[in-house]
Order: sequence, then structure tokens, then C-alpha cells
Amino acid sequence: MLKHLYDTDCVTWSPQGKLFQVEYAMEAVKQGSICLGLKSNENVVLCSLKRQPSELAGYQEKQFKIDDHMAIAIAGLTADARVLCKYMRTECLEYKYTYESHHPVGRLVFKVAEKSQHKTQSGAKRPYGVGLLVAGIDPNGVHLFETCPSGNYYEYKCQAIGSRSQAARTYFESWFHLFEKSTLEQLILHGLSALKKAIMEDEELNEKNVEVGILGKNQKFIHLNAQELKEYIQKLETFNANTQIQQE
Amino acid sequence: MIFNSELSAQQQHTTSPVVTGGSVIALAYKGGVVIGTDTLCSYGSMAAFKNVEKIAQVSKNTIYVSSGEYSDFQQVVKELAKIDRSALQYDDGVHPSPRDYGNFLARLSYKKRCKINPLYLQNVIAGFHNGERYLALVDIYGTYLESNFVTTGFASYFCKAIISNYWNENCTLDQAKQVIRECFKVLFCRDCRAHDVIQLGYVDEQGVHVEQPERVETKWDFNGFKTRANEKLHTQ
Repeated sequence: MLKHLYDTDCVTWSPQGKLFQVEYAMEAVKQGSICLGLKSNENVVLCSLKRQPSELAGYQEKQFKIDDHMAIAIAGLTADARVLCKYMRTECLEYKYTYESHHPVGRLVFKVAEKSQHKTQSGAKRPYGVGLLVAGIDPNGVHLFETCPSGNYYEYKCQAIGSRSQAARTYFESWFHLFEKSTLEQLILHGLSALKKAIMEDEELNEKNVEVGILGKNQKFIHLNAQELKEYIQKLETFNANTQIQQE
Repeated sequence: MIFNSELSAQQQHTTSPVVTGGSVIALAYKGGVVIGTDTLCSYGSMAAFKNVEKIAQVSKNTIYVSSGEYSDFQQVVKELAKIDRSALQYDDGVHPSPRDYGNFLARLSYKKRCKINPLYLQNVIAGFHNGERYLALVDIYGTYLESNFVTTGFASYFCKAIISNYWNENCTLDQAKQVIRECFKVLFCRDCRAHDVIQLGYVDEQGVHVEQPERVETKWDFNGFKTRANEKLHTQ
């Protein structure tokens, strides 16, 4: 396929009906480090692996609070993610100002998707190079959405995006039938187990390179602190996914 | 632009009303909220439109009534209905709660007040959502107050004594309706811009119920009227 003939800009279709620029943008998401999310009837948990550009640098944060009831995890171009994060936060604030209540989650994801689609239909613009996992709670229930550079969005029970995310998704496929009724602790341990599947052989999970954020019907979005992370990572050793309990 | 274009000759702002609606009384009862208003729109001191139904159902579980400029009321009903309709385009089944409407109206009123172009209304929003009843007053300035009972216009002066003596927030629907009828009897006697035909509407778990207009019973067969006792004095 002579891809290079049809991949210069968003306003050129390929004969097979593809927009290559949009597809290339989705590749950028796959290059980002892994982040995953999973939900139960009461809670949503976001787990991500933070990258450290060099020994001297700090770790790049991947989860951002949008409002008390909503948070995102990003994979891809961090700069693009910041733009979307700012947009979502502004929308939530305006909604709160007008209605004194929380922005419905699906509606905000729809707005982000609309914004992303706009960038795929112009000669002068490029798509956002970032995929978001949006975790949120609203009167309709507990939600986990994924957004793409293409402007599509999907709702999930659990999802992983970024580099080596297929390993995490395979873990989810085996165990997601248990998540609905899981407790918060079990959900976190499942998330970290899935994360563990996706790291390289010489890497290990520790409280510095892992980020876990939790949301619940009665729980505003918070990150787990270093101490809590350490404890959970330790509990991973003895966590049995099937029974969801610690065992020796 | 040095001069505020809103002050230019082309744009005039409404700071005095033309066609006005009368008092509104709203009371919470055990299981919902009931609102009463009369069916009159006055054109100054003329009782111009006597059959106006002023209880607007804004959504499945919210009603809205106001006293003041009637055209502003009609416009606000359109604005509120717009919010409910535009919720449909998101396909998520999430509809604004009564409190969302109340706060939206407060923001809208405040914005217009800041531009010295107010919605000349005292607004009452009532609803029932998630097992909880809701009642709020939004005034011409955008002040937002949630309460168990609300009165606007002359009812605030004449009716609060009746309400505090005969109503409590856990009374039955019929008791609350009776209190409202008593209040409108007094208003018809004392408020020059009041009418004796009123309409009641209530919201509860099942939704919105707006009743047919009814005439409040007023008593005019006093002996003094019939025998015209005082007339002798005047002809002397």
C-alpha cells in the first residue's frame, strides 16, 4: 500500500477509507506508558506506570483530578493532555457555577470527543495525540470511559491503554466478571496485578513509579500516598485473583 | 468602545412592568410541595386577563411559577424548557434536577440584574427529586433561597401569619391546600390586584399535578351589605 501518498494530512482519505493521520495519532497513544482503569458498582480505580525520563528527573504524573467526582489518566503526548485536562476542568467549573451540581460524566466525555473530532476534519490542524481514561461518578452511576484521538469514545467495565497494555487487558478478560462486586481494596489489587503483567522483566512496581487514584460514590477523587502504595504493592505478593483474598 | 453600547438610544431596558401576575404561595407538605397562584394578569390597575394558567411544568418533576412581568415569565419558561430539551441530545438519560433549574435561574437573574436589565420576576421553583422535596425562591436580583414555604408579592405581607398559625412542613396535601385557599381569600379582600380564581399545582413522587382553576369562597352576604345600613348616613 502506498501509504505515503495519502497520509500527509487529515483531509485526505486513502482508497481503503482510512485517515492515516488519525491512525498515526492513535500510535502516539500506544507509545505512552500504560494506564488502566477498572470499576465496580461503587468505585473506580485508575492505575498507571509513571515514566522517569532520566535518573535526574522526576516521574511524569499521569492522573489528573478534573473535579471531585471525576479524574483522568493519560497516555500519549503530555502537552496535548494538559490542554484537554484544562478544558475539562473549565467545563466542570462552569457547570458547577450555573447549576451547583456536578457535570454529568458522559456528557463531558462527549464534549471532549466532539473537540477531538474537530481536529480530524481540518487541513490546518492535527489530531490530539493523547488517549484519556475518564473515571467519574454521576447520578447515572459509576463510569469509565476511553477517548481516542479519532474523536471516538467508549464506555468500559475496565480498560488499559498505552504501551504493553494488551497484557493488562488479557488479565482483565480473565477476571473482570468479579469486579462488579469487588471491594475497593480488591479492585486496587486487581488493578496493580494487571499493571504488573505489563511491565518489562527488569522493571518492578514501587511506590515511586506507580500511581493509583480512587473514586467512589462517597469518596472524592484522591491519589494513594507513598505509604499506602507500598502496602498495596506488598499485598500483591499474596493476592489470589480468583478468590480475591490474601493467601499464603 | 468607550461607551457601553447597552446604554445607547436603540436599547431600552425594562425597569417597570406592564402586564403583571399576582402573588404566589408555595408550601411544602409531607411528600411534596404545593403551589398556588391566582389566574389574573393585570394591566396596571385593570384586571385585563382573568383566565391565565400560570403554573408551568418545566420537567417531569419540576414546576415553576412567578409573580411580576408576565412576558418575562413566558421567556423564562422557554429558557428552562430549553435546558431540559437540550439534555436529550447527549443520549445519557441525565436530566436536570429541580435544584439545577433553581440555580440556573438564580445565575440568569443575577446576570441580568448586573446589566441593569432585570427579569422583573419573583420566581418560585418547586420539585421532587430522589425522594426529597425541593422549594426555592429566586428574586429579581438573583438571590437564591431554599425554604419550606415561599410567598411573593402581597402574600408576603398578609399571609405569613396565616401560614405560621395553620401550616407545618409535615402536614397533609389537603391541609396545605386549605391554608393556601385561606390565604388567597384574604388576598382577594385586601390586595387590589388579586383575583378570586386560583390554581393549585403540586409535585410529589409520582410527578407533577396541575389542577383546574377554582374559585375561592368569599363571603359577601353580610347584613350590612344587604340592609345598606350605612347608606342612611351618607344621604344626610
